[in-house]
Amino acid sequence: MKKWSAIFAPALVALATTAPSSAYAAECEEIVLGSAISLTGKYATNGVHAKNGYEFAIKKIKENGGIKVDGKCYNFNVIYYDDESKGDRGATLAERLISQDKVQYMLGPYSSGLTKAIAPVTERYKIPMVEAEGASRSLFNKGYKYLFAVLSTSEQYLASAVTLAEEMAKKDGKDAGDIKVAIAVENDPFSLDIRAGVLEDAGRVGMNVVIDEKLPRDLSDMSAILTKVKLLKPDLLVVSGHSKGAATAVRQIKEQNIKVPMIALTHCEAADVTGNFGDAADGILCSTQWAETLSYWDPVFGTAANYEQEFKSAYPEYKEKKVPYQTAQASAAVMVFMSAFERAGTLDKDAVREAISATDMTTFYGRIKFSDAGNNIAKPMVLRQIQNGEYNVVAPSAFASHGLDWPRK
Amino acid sequence: MTRFMPVIHVLLLTLVITAPFLLPDYRSSLSALWILIIVALTWDLTGGQMGYNSLGNIFFYGTGMYVAAIITIGIAYDVGEYTDAAGGGIFAFTPTQYFMGFGFGLIGAGLFCAACAIIIGSVTFSLRGPYFAIGTLGVAIAAGELVSNWEWVGGGQGISMPNYPGEQERLFTYYSFATVGVVLYIFLRWLYTTRFAAAMNAIRDDEEKAEAMGIHTLRYKLVAWAIAAFFVGIVGAIEAFQALHFEPLETAYQTINLGIFMVVCVLLGGKGTLWGPIIGAIMFHVFKEITWNYFLGWQWVALGALIVVTVVYFQDGLMGWLMSKKPEWFGIRVETRDTSTAEAAE
Repeated sequence: MKKWSAIFAPALVALATTAPSSAYAAECEEIVLGSAISLTGKYATNGVHAKNGYEFAIKKIKENGGIKVDGKCYNFNVIYYDDESKGDRGATLAERLISQDKVQYMLGPYSSGLTKAIAPVTERYKIPMVEAEGASRSLFNKGYKYLFAVLSTSEQYLASAVTLAEEMAKKDGKDAGDIKVAIAVENDPFSLDIRAGVLEDAGRVGMNVVIDEKLPRDLSDMSAILTKVKLLKPDLLVVSGHSKGAATAVRQIKEQNIKVPMIALTHCEAADVTGNFGDAADGILCSTQWAETLSYWDPVFGTAANYEQEFKSAYPEYKEKKVPYQTAQASAAVMVFMSAFERAGTLDKDAVREAISATDMTTFYGRIKFSDAGNNIAKPMVLRQIQNGEYNVVAPSAFASHGLDWPRK
Repeated sequence: MTRFMPVIHVLLLTLVITAPFLLPDYRSSLSALWILIIVALTWDLTGGQMGYNSLGNIFFYGTGMYVAAIITIGIAYDVGEYTDAAGGGIFAFTPTQYFMGFGFGLIGAGLFCAACAIIIGSVTFSLRGPYFAIGTLGVAIAAGELVSNWEWVGGGQGISMPNYPGEQERLFTYYSFATVGVVLYIFLRWLYTTRFAAAMNAIRDDEEKAEAMGIHTLRYKLVAWAIAAFFVGIVGAIEAFQALHFEPLETAYQTINLGIFMVVCVLLGGKGTLWGPIIGAIMFHVFKEITWNYFLGWQWVALGALIVVTVVYFQDGLMGWLMSKKPEWFGIRVETRDTSTAEAAE
């Protein structure tokens, strides 16, 4: 008997404590969203960042009194599946969410590759999907009507870095044609679009691309490419390979003692390169979709800085590092759904799709307005440089808080 | 047993036609089953009937996918522009373009893969036993790597197919797979009664003797592999339309998944029989659906265990086991009396 009470007592306490909150929640009904997201595999780090972003937004919306649709109150609930960072698995799971779990609205997966695999499925069933983590432009030329992305497309990530490289060269008395560019990217839709953007920008001003290589599939070793960098001495080195690629780049640039005046990466915050590699990350340029220092605001989260603070207290594991933009934009995707439901005033799928398409809102993450193709055309990218372990905005000039340290030591 | 065959066939055909309506929620799973059946049957054509265990048949599957995609997209647009990472205009497809792409894509994929089989086979068929298996596996792996660096078809981004212009996409793909499967079954049923099959079996049993008997073995091997490649290519092409998006390494040239599964199906069901691969594919599919849905995290362990148990205890598969237990079911007469006198007379 004693044994039993030992088990039951905590259970009863738990029941008693959850009872009032569930009674409160019962006032609001549930809107079910679905998402296949990478919780294991090579995109696991960012998959978890994105999931946390979704969950944090859902929690905040609940605390704010839920979503008001036609006088009734709703809260979001998300069914997640782990896509193992594999496209075909993602597509299968999207199929399962829609046909077996009867999900009517989807949140996006992590990465352009997974989004590419899932978008045709949501399109097949005419399920609106708001995604926050697929930036490749090749997603937005297939005529998809049910795909909406809150983030800026890939080619904008490092455009400012190319401009800065040009400015610095001019200052140094060099011609744009003398600038040597090295590119090393993952062989996936996102990074290939980063590469396409850099090639376009570099080509426009006549820069000389001396290295154009792909990172190996598992992104864990780029020493061969860096040896080439050492020999050819480029003025700008661009590396893009999600979090794992960023971590590998910073680690091996230090190990091989690579000196390049300007190094630009994607996914620095998500890989926590300052926390993991300390000084080795100094001077590196990092593109970001969002920075907590920007002056955006919305009624649910307040300012960008406020979002960062509250997120850190809700998820203490982020205390020592930057809140990655992957998290912020995931929260923004949930905000788009909230706003669309409220504006549609109904749960009818097609009406909600129309409302999403007509979105024009300001959030803590920036302004969100979709083009006909579904990408967000109202938000700029910013470029930060790691200076003494701090991420400081250096471009574009409208947002820059610090000057550029150049050349990188 | 043979008396009932027409009845059984009619029943089976009815089942094939009505299955998507009997199990409407499992249409995509049934399509996946057809893929397994077709790749297992074609694998057995060389592996079981001819003794050439190819691990590279997945090459034809992936190549079929890409050929179908290139033809479909090529009919309407410039493939390089369509797959460009930098995006560009909107690429929409009309129903006519879709179905033209589907028709030509399937035929093109089948013929192209058959041609590939003849070209690759003329090199790899000089290898035997495990060397042939590894050689063909190498071809499939190399092809995946090459395609993943071939920008014109999208490289590592993969390639997106147009969406089906209509509502009944699942039925459309199911019946496409089923048609190929039924045609293949009828074809193999006929083929296995011909001299061609006898020659294939002779190659399996003793290639030197077969050659000594005047069989032009290389020609037989090439034709057999080309037939297999033709059907696998078509199945890959249909899968390209059903998958909507695929990438080279994990979906198209998926050597460690489907490339191995097809062999496991045949081993489970029984090599060198017509029904073995089919039964094996069904057993494997059910096993896979159960483990992948209910024992997630352990699915690869379970699969490994299945392979080990099959290879160690049921080397001849289910059909082989049945044949030794119930030979009369297969029309094999077992004489129980008079054998001693017959032997003595000899």
